[in-house]
Parts: sequence; C-alpha cells; structure tokens
Amino acid sequence: MSDLVLELVGLTAGYGDNPIVHDFSARLYRGSITTLIGGNGAGKSTLLRAIYGTNRWFSGQVVFRGEALEKLEPVARLKRGIGFVPQGRCNFPTMTVAENLKMGCYTLPGQKHAAAIERVVALFPVLRSKWRIEAGNMSGGEQQVLEMAMVLMLEPSLLLLDEPSLGLSPKMQADVFATVKQIASIGVTVLVVEQNVRGALMISDQAWVMEQGRKFMEGPAKEVRTDPRIRQAYLGGNIKHHAA
Amino acid sequence: MSADPIYLLQLTLNGVTLGLLYALIAVGLALIFGVLEIINFAHGELLMVGAYAMAFALPAFGLLYWPALVVAVLASAIAGWVLYELFLSKLKLGELERSILITLALSIIILHVVQLLFTASPRIVDTQFGFEGVEIGAIRITWTRVIGAGSAAVAFALLFLVLKFTQFGRAMRAIAQNREAALMVGIRPKTVARNAVVLATALCGLAGAALAPVHLVQPGMGQFLIFKAFALVIIGGLGNIPGAIAAAILLGLVESWVGGFFQIVWQEAAVFVLMMGVLFLRPDGLFKRGAMRVG
Repeated sequence: MSDLVLELVGLTAGYGDNPIVHDFSARLYRGSITTLIGGNGAGKSTLLRAIYGTNRWFSGQVVFRGEALEKLEPVARLKRGIGFVPQGRCNFPTMTVAENLKMGCYTLPGQKHAAAIERVVALFPVLRSKWRIEAGNMSGGEQQVLEMAMVLMLEPSLLLLDEPSLGLSPKMQADVFATVKQIASIGVTVLVVEQNVRGALMISDQAWVMEQGRKFMEGPAKEVRTDPRIRQAYLGGNIKHHAA
Repeated sequence: MSADPIYLLQLTLNGVTLGLLYALIAVGLALIFGVLEIINFAHGELLMVGAYAMAFALPAFGLLYWPALVVAVLASAIAGWVLYELFLSKLKLGELERSILITLALSIIILHVVQLLFTASPRIVDTQFGFEGVEIGAIRITWTRVIGAGSAAVAFALLFLVLKFTQFGRAMRAIAQNREAALMVGIRPKTVARNAVVLATALCGLAGAALAPVHLVQPGMGQFLIFKAFALVIIGGLGNIPGAIAAAILLGLVESWVGGFFQIVWQEAAVFVLMMGVLFLRPDGLFKRGAMRVG
C-alpha cells in the first residue's frame, strides 16, 4: 500500500543495557492520527524516541516510506521527514519566537528559511502576535504550538508528539488537540502519546495500547474508547457510566 | 596614599584594560560550560600557548604586531580543536568529574612540556610599538595595552553578533538552553561543541597574544588565570556571557585599585574575596544565571 508511512517490525529499544520496548510491530498510514496509550513506564516515550533515534536500538526495524532507518542518527531521520516534539517544554526559552522559528530552519538551506517561517506562521497566526516575545514568557499552550511549528517547518510526513497537552488548562488542551487535528488534515501522519487519553482518542483514527513495553492491543479509536478494559484502566474506570 | 585624581584615573584605565583581557578568558570558559557543561581547566594553558606563539611569531615577522597576533589566535584555536577531538568529544553528558580530571591533567602536562621545551625563565616580548604609548595629560598607556583592550572589545562585539544573528552562534545558545529542543530541530551537539571549543580557545589565544607584550611570558602564566576566570564565571552567573564580561572588568578595576593603594599581595586575593562575598550575598552570582544569555 503506497499510503504506508511507517512500519515497525519487531522493534526492541531502550536505554543503556536495558531494552524497554520489546518486539513492537505496527503500521501507520498517511494523514492518520494514532494515540499511544499505556500506564506510566509502559514504554510509550521510549517507543517515540526509538522511532526518532534518540535512544538505543537493540533489534527489529523502523521502516519509514520503504527505507529502514533504525541505524541512522536523529538528524538523518529528521531530514527524511520524521519530526519529534519531546515531552515537556521543548523550545529555547530565552530566545524570541522569531529566533525559535529560525532555529526550526536549522537543517534547511538559507534561501528556504523565509518561506518556511511564512508557512507555519500562516498556519498558526498566534506566533506572529508574539514575534518579539521570549518563548519562555508565553503560555504553555502557545509554547506547545511554537514547538510543533518549529518541527513542521521541515514539512515532516510523520510527526511524533510526546504529551503535547501535559500541564495545560482544559481550554488550552482543547486548542492543542484542534491544532493536531489541523496538522493531520494537511496530510501529516501523527503519532501522539497523551495523558489526556479521552481527549486524544476523540481526535484519533486509531490507537495502540502498550503494557510493559509490549503492544497489548490496537484498533480504531472508537473501538478502543469503548473497550471495557481500556475504560477501566485509562479512562477513569467509570464502569457505572458504561453500564448505564 | 593620597587620592590623586590623575593617579586614580590611571589605575582605572589600567584596570579596564586588564579586565577586558580577563573577560576574554572568562567568556571562553562560559561558552564551553554552556555548550558542553564542563569546566575546561586547561584553558589557562591554551592562553599560555597563545602567548608563546606570539613570543615566537613576533621576531619571525620583524616585530609586526598584527600578523603575530593572527598566528597566536590560530595556534590556540588549533590546540583547542585538538583538545576537543582527542579528549572532550569522548566525554558523555554529565561526566563533570571526568572532565575536571582530564582537563586538569592536560593543563599540568602542557605546562611542563612547554617548560621542558622553552625553560621556565620568563620572556620579555617586544613588539613594533616598544614601550610607546598614548599620553593624555599626565596619563600614559602603552599602545600594546590599548590595542589589547581594543581587540578584546572588538572580539566581544563580534561574538555578540555571531551568537545573536548567525545560525552558527544561535546553535550554541540553543544547546545551552535546551538540549532536547536542539535535537528536535536537527542540531548535532558534537559539531556545535567542537565549534564552541574552537571559538573559546581562539578568544583565549587572543588574550594570550595581547598579554604577551604586557606581562612576562612564562609556562605558569595561565595557571593562576584559570582560577580567576573560573571565579569570574561564577560571579557573573554561571553561563551568563555579559555577566562574565562585567565581572571581569569589575575585577580588573578592583585589582588595579587594590594594587595601587594597598600592598601588592592583596591584589591576587581580591578576586577570591570578591567571589566569596558575592556567593554569600547572592549564591547564583551577580547576574541572572545560565541559558547563555547574550543580551
């Protein structure tokens, strides 16, 4: 299938001598949003890092648009079209929004910077209004938008987001989810790890559930959302509501 | 001990020129600390390498100042590059103790190798300017001091422009501010670390070259400077570049005044008295800490 963007084949990865993610196989298709669900320490972030290449690969394959990437360094993967926004604040806090976006162009040739900046600012007009503000002085939601913009400048075909709504107010969480939806609508494939499982599932096409470093289940987001085991474990366990 | 205004002004000018040279060393340390998160204790010896390069290059160029200065800066920068490739690039993030031991050991080794090659006897370095100087009224400063201070000021202006307006420089600030974000946008930490070390050691070479005609050149000249520079980096707010420059100029002034009005032994202690005072009153230094602020 030509729409296949990413295929993981028996991927095992972790840190130092400790594999955390074991034998993980899954596929992502163009323009889809996939939520990665799992408890603390289930290996969600480790899996994202393994796809981007910032941790240790043990075995298996990361096939991105037909090319095996598992032995390439992160910058090489970025250049091929994988963008990764790590967990927590991931910008340059004492640089202005303009400077942060300029850093987003780091791997682009100079003559492409202006167009790339123009493109993401058109996508996220809030950035224009904060142009000369230091990133660290913006609200959490604005910073998250900036971070996604920095990665989107390179027009990735796959965007990995680790906890984009962490620490944000419910209103801002909704904004971030809307932004993710918007990103997918322009053809970017999104894989997102979210603590707000309910919110993430609402915008997702499919979900992967991880437990102890392995894939526990996968399926369309709707099915996963209504699966009693998932409701129990990750959606607040409101069994009464489910029964009613 | 009369507070003659001319004498005071002379001391002040001497203090500023000395302070600007201290600042070159301190800024280099701050740059390396910001990007690599290590303290380079071999920094003083790279300055000494620059001073020796100046001492040998000057006669080779018929005492011409500027070509010799270029040679000295290049010599230190190349030494810095070798230092990075052979040793510092092998360090992992957070290996502060290893970095201290490695750079301290290198500092002592370089010092003794230079002593072995060129003996410990101090050299007087002469330039095309000799002891000529500018005189304004009763105040007199030698050209070598004026040029040294001027070159340092120009170097800081250039450094500011590089860090603020080029991707090359911004990448250094980026790594100092957020390593994960740097990886996110595709910055290679090792490349930037190498650039930072070469840039910092070039500044160090400039300091060595400028000091050579002003002070005596000897193998141990960098050793006391490193501890001073380290103190300055802390006083200035670890990782804060303008803070380090301000602290260095302040120290130059304090040393010059103390040396002018009190017994000379107090001069060398001034920086550490200053550091202890600052750390008691403001544990994070005089200025905002970290993140490689440039303005």
